[in-house]
Amino acid sequence: MTSLIDTTIYSAITEAIRVEAARILSEGEVTAVVGYAAARRKGSAQPIVINTAADAGQLIFTPSCVNNLAVYLTKAKKEISKTGKIGIVVKGCDLKALVGLMGESQLKREDMYLIGVPCIGVLASTVQPATGLTAETIAPKCTECDAHLPQGCDFVPAQTPVVTKLEHKYAAEIARLEALTPAERWAYWKEQFTKCIKCYACRQVCPFCFCEQCLCDRNKPQMVDTTPRPAGNAAWHIVRAMHLAGRCAGCAECERVCPMDIPLNLLNRKMAMELKELYDYEAGFDVLDKGPLTMFTDKDDQSFIK
Amino acid sequence: MQKYISQHNLDTLLDTLIKRGIRVVAPRMNAGIPLYEPLGSSGEVVSDTLPRRSAKEAFFPVCEDIMSYKKEGQKVTITDIDPGRFPETVLFGVRPCDAAAIPVLDAVFSWDYKDEFFLERRKKTTIIGLACTAADDACFCTAVGLSPSASKGSDLFLTALEGGGYACDTCSEKGEALIANNQALFDGPSTSNPIPFAEPQTDTFDLTKVKAWLNDHFEDPLWDGIATRCVGCGACAFVCPACHCFDIVDEGTEKAGKRRKNWDACGFWKFTHHASGHNPRDLQPKRYRNRIMHKFKYYDDKFGQTLCTGCGRCVRICPVGIDIAAIVEEINKK
Repeated sequence: MTSLIDTTIYSAITEAIRVEAARILSEGEVTAVVGYAAARRKGSAQPIVINTAADAGQLIFTPSCVNNLAVYLTKAKKEISKTGKIGIVVKGCDLKALVGLMGESQLKREDMYLIGVPCIGVLASTVQPATGLTAETIAPKCTECDAHLPQGCDFVPAQTPVVTKLEHKYAAEIARLEALTPAERWAYWKEQFTKCIKCYACRQVCPFCFCEQCLCDRNKPQMVDTTPRPAGNAAWHIVRAMHLAGRCAGCAECERVCPMDIPLNLLNRKMAMELKELYDYEAGFDVLDKGPLTMFTDKDDQSFIK
Repeated sequence: MQKYISQHNLDTLLDTLIKRGIRVVAPRMNAGIPLYEPLGSSGEVVSDTLPRRSAKEAFFPVCEDIMSYKKEGQKVTITDIDPGRFPETVLFGVRPCDAAAIPVLDAVFSWDYKDEFFLERRKKTTIIGLACTAADDACFCTAVGLSPSASKGSDLFLTALEGGGYACDTCSEKGEALIANNQALFDGPSTSNPIPFAEPQTDTFDLTKVKAWLNDHFEDPLWDGIATRCVGCGACAFVCPACHCFDIVDEGTEKAGKRRKNWDACGFWKFTHHASGHNPRDLQPKRYRNRIMHKFKYYDDKFGQTLCTGCGRCVRICPVGIDIAAIVEEINKK
C-alpha cells in the first residue's frame, strides 16, 4: 500500500474557515456562505449554503471536499439568491472557474468574498469517501495541480500545503492517445461516447455550462439527437468540448461526476494544450475582457487558411 | 422445496441456456464498469459487486426504437416494432434491491396503459435472484423493508453457501419450470450454512409515518435546505432500479427516421417545461421534492408500494452528495 499523503493541515483549515465564515456572516459582510459540510456516509462531504453565523460550525474541509462550488454562483443556479455579497470556499482549481466567470461578465469580484483553501489534494471519484489520500486515491487533476495556494482571495488560512510530487495522470494519458493513429483514436472515443446515458451530470456541474437553454435541449430546431445513442452522444460531447475550449481551467468536475466513467477531462486538457500552443493562453489565471477565441488580432495563427 | 446447485452446475446451466438461444443477462464487466448485460458465456459473470446501473434495463432499455417511418413521394410507411420478437431471457445474479424493483415497475407499466415493450420482455424473462453478502454504507435496503436475503421479484433465489454452491429457493411457476427443464443440474437441499448476509447499517424507516409527514408538507423549509445543492442532472434517476420516466422523440430526417423511447428524469429543468414557457417546477428544490414525493408518497397512494428499494446507487453517484437515506431518516424523525 502506498503511504498516506499528509493532510493534517485540513483540520486547522476547517477551524479557520468556520471562524472566518462566522465573522463575515455576523458582521453582515456577506448574506450567505457556500462551503462544504459533512454528510451521513463516513468521511463524506456535500456542498452547503449557510446564512447565519450559528451554522458556520457545520463547515469542513477534508479530502472529500471535491466539488467545485463555483457552479452555485452562476445564473444556472437560480435557487441561490445573488443579492448581496456571497462568501465561497474555493480551492485553487475552483478559483480558476471564478476567474473565467468574471471575465465572461457572469460575476463581479466585489460581489464575492473568497475564502481560499491551501489544498494538497482531494479524493478521486472512484474511491469510498472514507479512504485515505494516497498517490492512488488522489483525484487525477490534483497530480497536475499548479494552484495549491489560491491567489487573490479575501481570506486564506495561514497554512502551507506541502505537496508530494506525483506522476501527471492526464499528461501520460494524452501522450498515449496522441501516439495512436486518427482511426485508432476515433475508435477509442467512439467507445467512450457509446457509454454515455445522457444524464447530463457533466453539464450540470460545469461552472461554464450556464446557458439558460442548452443547445442540446433545443428542439426548434433540434440541433443534436437527444437519445443516448452513438450519433447524439458523440455530437453532445464534441459540442461540449468545443464550447469549453479556452474557458475550461481543469476543475475536472465533468469527469468526476460521470456515472459511466467517461474520461471527459482529457478532451478539456487537450483543448487547453491547443490554446496554449496557438495563443499562448492558459485559462483561469487573469480576468480578461476577452478570451482568445472571442477576439481577433492580426497576430493570430492563420496557418489553417490555405 | 429448497434445492442445491453447485457452482459448476450453475455455470453449466447458464452455458446450456445460452446454447439454446436464450438471452442470459447478468452482471458482467464492460470497459471496467459492472453492468447487467447479455453474456457470451458463464465465465463472464461477476457476482461480487453491485452493477453500476440497475436490472431494470433488461425490460426498460436506456433507449429503444418503438417504430420507424419512411416517406417516398407522397407515400408514408410506418413500421411498428414487433415485441413478439423479443428474445426469451434469463436474468441472472440479480441483487435483492434490483429484483424487488421489478414488481414495482410491473404496477406502473401495466396500469392504465399496457406498455407492450416492457410487458412482453417481462413475460419472457425468468429472474434468478442472488442474496447479498457485502454492503457499503450507501446500502439501505433494510431501511425500506427489504433485506439482503429478500426474494421479492425473483423466480428462483440463490443463496451462496459456505464451502461452495448455492441453496436455491423456488419463488414462482417460472422458477419451477426452469428447474424442471434442467433437473439433472439440481440436487436435494444442502445442510451447509449460508455465507453471512450483508448487514446494511441504517435504521429501519417507518414508511407509514414518512408518508404521513409528506401528505402534509408539500410546502416545507426542508426542501430548500436539502435540495438547493441539487444541480439538476439525471444521474440519480438513471441508476435507480425503480425510476421509470421516459421521453419519446422522433429522430431522423423528413425522408426516414425512428420514434424512440428513452430514459427521462424529474431532476431535469426540461421535464416539466410547458409549451407555453411556464414551468410549474421552476426551481431545483421543487424538482427534488418531486423525487422524494413520488418515491415515498405518490407511488404508494396509487399502487400501495414504495418506489425505493434501498440499493444506494443514487447516494453513491450524486455529483453533490445528496443522500436519500439521510433525507428520509430526517423525515422519519420529525
